[in-house]
Amino acid sequence: MNLLYKTYYFSSYQCDQRRCFYIDFGHKQVKLSFCQLLALRQKVQTIDIASHFDKDLNYSGIEIITLCNREHLFVFDTLQVMDLKQLLKATFGILELNSLVLH
Amino acid sequence: MKDIVRQKIGINVDVMDLLNEQIAKEAHSAAVYLAMASWCDHNGLIYSAEFFYKQSYEEREHMLKIFKFINENGGTAYSPEVSNINHDFNSLQEIFETALDQEIQISKSIHNIVTKCRKVMDYGTENFLQWFIQEQMEEENQFRRILEMFDLMGTDGIALKLIDERVKHVE
Repeated sequence: MNLLYKTYYFSSYQCDQRRCFYIDFGHKQVKLSFCQLLALRQKVQTIDIASHFDKDLNYSGIEIITLCNREHLFVFDTLQVMDLKQLLKATFGILELNSLVLH
Repeated sequence: MKDIVRQKIGINVDVMDLLNEQIAKEAHSAAVYLAMASWCDHNGLIYSAEFFYKQSYEEREHMLKIFKFINENGGTAYSPEVSNINHDFNSLQEIFETALDQEIQISKSIHNIVTKCRKVMDYGTENFLQWFIQEQMEEENQFRRILEMFDLMGTDGIALKLIDERVKHVE
């Protein structure tokens, strides 16, 4: 498995043999197809991080995210959400860079 | 390291995001035209109402065209939420001006995606969007021709009825 990117809490990998991706959430590693990785990216992108600093909009300061058609469920705090946003942005950046290098 | 992303998706991921935003804009346009059709229907402007029902249908077709393009090329299209639709208008002229402004915004948005396609060398999507560029030019011209009628004929009484009847001939 090739490490794509590592943040404080999480890391992402690509497996050439299985043609899929993995995200290590610390306590759990999740296998994702490209389509599922795209879905996670969309969910994380749409999280309004500013609402975490407004008690009226997000009192608890947590986000509940389901993965791979609700096969997995995660509860993230503000720092983890920010970390996950960074991980996915950087992961897709690395994947694009890889594509540029290969072609 | 294998380029799995390119194996799975035929379009650039950032371009896909812009196309998904475009889907939402087309859906919003379709809903706005329905609101306009409703206003025209309630105010006895039956040909204008018919015109906007047709416009709404066309915008939805545009949305579906982009929606299918994303999915057919390995991306994920997202069904949009539509909100904030205005149903209050002062006149038929205001409706057509609003519609033209909306079409201009859609044109700008399409041009913005084409610019991005060129930047990231996504020539497939650029080619796909050429049809939309042509379509937008035609749509804008259609509204300009109708607004010219208001300049020529005025907006009161019989002029309004005559404009309404002529709207059905504008294509």
